[in-house]
Amino acid sequence: MKVIIIGGGWSGCAAAITAKKAGAEVHIFEKTDMLLGLGNIGGIMRNNGRFTAAEEIKALGAGELINIIDSMSLHKNLDFPGHKHAWLYDVNNIEPVVKRHLEEMDIKIHTVKRVVDIEKKNRKILGIYLCDGTYIKGDVFIETTGSTGPMGNCLRYGNGCSMCVLRCPSFGPRVSITKRAGLEDMKGERAEEIYGAYSGSCKLSKESLSEEIRNELNEKGVVILKVPIEDIDMDKLSKKVCQQYALKEFAENIILLDTGCAKLMTSYYPLDKLRKIKGLENAKYIDPYSGGKGNSIRYLSCAKRNNDLKVVGIDNLFCAGEKSGLFVGHTEAICTGSLAGHNAVRYLKGIRTLVLPKKTAIGDIISFANYRFLKKNDKKSRYTFSGSIYFERMKTIGLYTTDIDEINEKISNLGLYEIFDNKLI
Amino acid sequence: MLLPCPCHLAETGDCIICSQLQGATGCDCANWKGVCIYQEYIWNNKKAKSGRKYYKCSIIRKTNFSENTIILTIKAPEILVNNLIYPGSFVFLKNPNTDQFYYFPISIMDADIQNSSLTFAIELKGIKTKKVNELKIQDEILVKGPFWNGVLGLRNINNIKNSVCLTIARGIGQAPLVPVLKKLHKNNNKIISILDKGNYNDNFIYEYLLNYDCEIIHCNTFENGKLTTEFKELLIDILLKNNIKLVHCSAADILNYNVMKIVENVSESLYVVDLNNINEIISKSNPSIKFTCCNNAKMSCGEGICGCCTRKNKDHKLRRMCKMQTDPKYVLEGRRLF
Repeated sequence: MKVIIIGGGWSGCAAAITAKKAGAEVHIFEKTDMLLGLGNIGGIMRNNGRFTAAEEIKALGAGELINIIDSMSLHKNLDFPGHKHAWLYDVNNIEPVVKRHLEEMDIKIHTVKRVVDIEKKNRKILGIYLCDGTYIKGDVFIETTGSTGPMGNCLRYGNGCSMCVLRCPSFGPRVSITKRAGLEDMKGERAEEIYGAYSGSCKLSKESLSEEIRNELNEKGVVILKVPIEDIDMDKLSKKVCQQYALKEFAENIILLDTGCAKLMTSYYPLDKLRKIKGLENAKYIDPYSGGKGNSIRYLSCAKRNNDLKVVGIDNLFCAGEKSGLFVGHTEAICTGSLAGHNAVRYLKGIRTLVLPKKTAIGDIISFANYRFLKKNDKKSRYTFSGSIYFERMKTIGLYTTDIDEINEKISNLGLYEIFDNKLI
Repeated sequence: MLLPCPCHLAETGDCIICSQLQGATGCDCANWKGVCIYQEYIWNNKKAKSGRKYYKCSIIRKTNFSENTIILTIKAPEILVNNLIYPGSFVFLKNPNTDQFYYFPISIMDADIQNSSLTFAIELKGIKTKKVNELKIQDEILVKGPFWNGVLGLRNINNIKNSVCLTIARGIGQAPLVPVLKKLHKNNNKIISILDKGNYNDNFIYEYLLNYDCEIIHCNTFENGKLTTEFKELLIDILLKNNIKLVHCSAADILNYNVMKIVENVSESLYVVDLNNINEIISKSNPSIKFTCCNNAKMSCGEGICGCCTRKNKDHKLRRMCKMQTDPKYVLEGRRLF
């Protein structure tokens, strides 16, 4: 009983954990030499409704990654404009910890193994091809290849390859498995008929900042600097992936967060303009390396899926993370990944797949994103527990809470307590 | 190399690799080769980069191997020779006194970097080759190149190391075999070589076979349109006894095809689960014995334009054989007749 996961980002890792716990043999195929993908440059957890989701996933029995992230946090309960009780993890040290954890669970990790094609019979995938021609059989597949890049897309829909952490020029471009399976990928839009959206933040080397800013950042976790009035660019807000950070404050100010590096909360910012700001005279981008020019383009390859995260049109393919909808963030990736991994094993066992009820924030966001995208043809909204329309919805329908006992009780009452912990085979 | 993507095929949306340069609006990089061709194209102001050149070279050696076969060595620019050292390398040749329709493709038998020379074995079959045969030592000859797609399944030849390989060559097929032997030898493979002199009285690649430490077996492989029993038995015997990992066949397509079928059958019967590898790999798509062969497509321009070499297989994919690398099974089998 072999589960093959294509893509080793947060959602792929989360899927691997739940599939493994459910009793399957699990393989992750990752094109680069590191797991976590964009998680290597992320860092923001538990802000706003993400707190609720993080606690829900723990209560559902898939809290491993949340626990690791919590333990790697540099700052806890931090507030910045529009966001409350954020936790910031150390992006420079988290990957090896997660990798070791997965290895200890006996999950087989294959790095620098780019999946380029599949073998299909009727509505079933039989196996995958790696770029060197190797063919690998599997019983069920989970696509977590994301929707970002590669270079050609970043060029067509953005400012070109900005040399981000995905490192397509080195390890090869992401290949959409659903597309290879003959399905049509869906694209998000940032404006009418303008496809894709820019990644929403960059990283600056902390060493390149003034001592004053560096100290403040280390101490408080957040630094807010004024953007010179002539450089304020409100238009850029609409281009970002992260609508939760598309607030006026983020255009009028430079907001830096300490994630081990200085996370600059704007999708890109010309270097010469950035260096006009006091304390940033020597600023240097470290992700993307060309953060002064552009950023990666996302949401170009979402799969049509059901609320159990099974891809429509293929019997044994599940998806998670950005592949499964216009989701933003690591918490969202971990939540969808955990469900996809668990359901993949349910499929193998031949039992009914799990759809999380709408009384949970996780179940609700999964169905809400699908509803908006497929039924309302809304290609512009992005879904995250941390802000924008979905956080508003959470507050309106009473899903948002930071009371851990309340969350545990809710999950227990739904009969889902530690359900991802159950061994199925 | 001098020949970066994109070529003229990108300008018309006919790139053989990039989905965006085939008219799609998104990336689908299943055949990515290390650069983003779309990016190169945009950065080059949506223009192709300059293509292959025609070189004036001079003939430095010409010997008649048989009545209708010559061995020709020419002095060529270093930059050209350096790019023709790989298995599958070929060029187009032409007598300078003839017009452009007289270019014909010919495999490199040997590219000598030290002396900056190229050696070919040319069978005098038709108008174009006969016109080249009119040239004498020190005469000028026109060369267009470099080209590399003379072998199908190239990646298998490039990837195989420390194994036992079997090569089969018949008649003029010996010439393109030489760079393949060179590569296999360089990667520390043991080579068993079945040689069939075909319609010749003797073989012309002994010198190379000795250089690359090949075990030579002489055998008549083909008679009356069929593989000989002797050859079939020999082939199966070698495959079963020597743990062969790769078979390369350098002959006419009918021979290539029949050998491929035997290799497939034996390979399937030998299918073993390699526990050290990631997992069980099914035999059909990932056989324990790889098969490669020479590319026998007829060519006229070498640039994917003239249409001379295009093949349409039952997978409905149009392959421009002068440029497009593919596994032999897609060329030798499943040809669409309509």
